[in-house]
Amino acid sequence: MKVEAIQYGDRKVYTVASFNRGVADWLSRLPTIWVEGEVTELRRNARWQSVFFTLKDPSDGACLGVTIARSRFDALRLDLGDGERVHVFGRPELFEAKGDFRLRALSIERFGLGDHLAALERLKQKLAAEGVFERRLPLPFLPKRIGLVTGNDAAAKRDVLTTITARFPAARIVVAETYVQGPFAATAMIDALRGVCAAPDVDVVVLARGGGSFEDLLPFSDERLVRAIATCPVPVVSAVGHEQDMPLCDLAADARASTPTAAARLVVPDASELVNRLDRSRAALARGARGVLERRRQRLERSHERLRRAPALAVERKRARLEHSAGRLRTLSPRATLERGYAIVRSGDAIVRSSAAVASGDAIDVEVGDGRFEARVE
Amino acid sequence: MTFEEAQHELEQIVERLERGDAGLDEAIKLWERGEELYKQCVGQLDAAQGKIEELARRAESAKPA
Repeated sequence: MKVEAIQYGDRKVYTVASFNRGVADWLSRLPTIWVEGEVTELRRNARWQSVFFTLKDPSDGACLGVTIARSRFDALRLDLGDGERVHVFGRPELFEAKGDFRLRALSIERFGLGDHLAALERLKQKLAAEGVFERRLPLPFLPKRIGLVTGNDAAAKRDVLTTITARFPAARIVVAETYVQGPFAATAMIDALRGVCAAPDVDVVVLARGGGSFEDLLPFSDERLVRAIATCPVPVVSAVGHEQDMPLCDLAADARASTPTAAARLVVPDASELVNRLDRSRAALARGARGVLERRRQRLERSHERLRRAPALAVERKRARLEHSAGRLRTLSPRATLERGYAIVRSGDAIVRSSAAVASGDAIDVEVGDGRFEARVE
Repeated sequence: MTFEEAQHELEQIVERLERGDAGLDEAIKLWERGEELYKQCVGQLDAAQGKIEELARRAESAKPA
């Protein structure tokens, strides 16, 4: 198609129609490609030739209008719902009458389980490399207030509330009900998470949902939610009831529970068990104090017993030594010599050591081994 | 004087007396000192025990139903 410009002096000017035609012409030379996004605002009318919808990038919300021939769309029998992720095969196109840029779809494929798994795995690798899964804030031992983010009529909510109240009746809880599945779940959960964190005193958050199909749980692997959890100002306990196919929110959370009930057990201690433990400690304390005292007393009594015996023992020992000395003293006395036949002669009080000391007729005193007698010097 | 100090001195006195190298007068003095220390220690133990029993009784009566 020829695009004619109007000449104004040396300026070339295009009409809107010819400009659009020119751009459309350029665009039509681009190759056909696959584009991935979420379906929103799907409009199909039996009287229209085409079906319209908007393809939205889930990570940043960028939008692209898509048209597809109604007959072609109907033949695909996709029954697409809002928010569903698809691959669209087509080429860029300009709707000349409106200057609308859009994707002319030739085919649409629903994002399959395999695609989801592959996308999830890629996201997991990316977030892991960024360190998004490494946070492990410690949970408070006794939370001041617990934030609970859960579905609005979920059994999960009931399970968490019942278990928390049974274990720790004084617990304070603020509940934020939100969508937990479907296209708006991820953003709704992020809002709910921020909401409970902003509530006064909340120092731990539980994100709870009962089990569900793989697709049901996809919002719990949403990149925005995962990042919101990893940057949440208070610790987050993830309790998304599914053992296999662990959603990514579980990896980002500070603690993970396999069920909502288990999550409740993580956030509050069992009050009655606490009281029991305290009682046991107190009993042990009294026992310990008495034990210390008892051991001291026994040691003291042993010392006292020894002390009591010690002086008698000392006197006894001294007496024995004394007797021993007396024995030796006796052995050394002159009496033993007298018993061998010697005699001690005394004149008056003096011992006679020389014959010159006595004269004939003197009275003397003679001591022998077994006694003494009087005698007179001849 | 703490309980431990008194007990320590008492035990040293006992050892000294049992070794038998103290003079008689000194031994008597040591013995008297030992008895004094013993009385002091028993007094401290009795006081501590009274306190423990009192605390245990109070803790028992303050127990929540």
